[in-house]
Amino acid sequence: MKTLKRWCAVVLLLVSWGINAGAQQPPKQQKEFTPIDQLPPTESMPAAPLLVTAYAFVMIVLFVYVLSVARRLSTVQDELNRLDATIKQTGRP
Amino acid sequence: MPRWFSPAAIACGVLFAASPFVIANAPFESDLGLVQKIFYYHMPSAWMFLIASMVCGVASVRFLATGNYRHDRTALAAGELIVLFGLLTLVTGPLWARRSWGTFWVWDARTTASLVSWMIACAYLILRRYGGPGSEKLAAGLALFGMANVPFIYISVNYWRTIHPPTSVVPTLPFSLGFPLWYCVIAFLLLFVLLLKLRVRVEEQQARVDALYLALDERS
Repeated sequence: MKTLKRWCAVVLLLVSWGINAGAQQPPKQQKEFTPIDQLPPTESMPAAPLLVTAYAFVMIVLFVYVLSVARRLSTVQDELNRLDATIKQTGRP
Repeated sequence: MPRWFSPAAIACGVLFAASPFVIANAPFESDLGLVQKIFYYHMPSAWMFLIASMVCGVASVRFLATGNYRHDRTALAAGELIVLFGLLTLVTGPLWARRSWGTFWVWDARTTASLVSWMIACAYLILRRYGGPGSEKLAAGLALFGMANVPFIYISVNYWRTIHPPTSVVPTLPFSLGFPLWYCVIAFLLLFVLLLKLRVRVEEQQARVDALYLALDERS
């Protein structure tokens, strides 16, 4: 019985080793060299357009937001001045 | 506006105008190459996004505790900045990821939590805009959820499996890569303070206008 258990353990060990060995295949042998400009588009994707897009997006969004806040402040300031003038004219607080 | 505002605005403009030159002079990162330079705007945006969430949350807590509308105005201003800097983070991040990860988006803990936080801020602004009278207290409660998400976003990369770099990357940056980053952090922080001040000013003036209309109505 003991011997059978030992054999089973050895077989399991060998099977698991074989599975692991199969899973860890070495990389495929390279049979030719490919110039970088001949790579598929996903692998040779240039970084510059992404970089420019990111920086342009940040600058444009910040600029638009600053303009928007300045415009809102100017509008509310004008309204406040108009109300102040009305109150001064009518003599009401 | 306070006296420091104009010089600070000029300094901020100069910092931003010079930032492309500072970033261009930084060396390329060995693995990521050119696209890594998105980091110098992406990370400060993300930090301002988290700081704005904290400011909005703390101001909301103070508003709920004291009922002082000064804190509510600060919370509203910060809420808008969460959406602004969150948008910058959530757009620049995927542009970087497309090149370095091969995909625009991964549903890892940090990106998902950031998106949730940004959507909470959008919900906060929508509630403030269309919620009607009394919605400011409900919105303040919502802001607390946004603030509670901040530590989770920050530490998530250290505890969950993710492609995002861990938080240990920034403290260990060499000077050549660290200088442009901290330069941009200062520029973004200054911009954040200026925008917060400007936006709070809009709310203060709007409150004065509302008070004057109310006074005129009562007299007439």
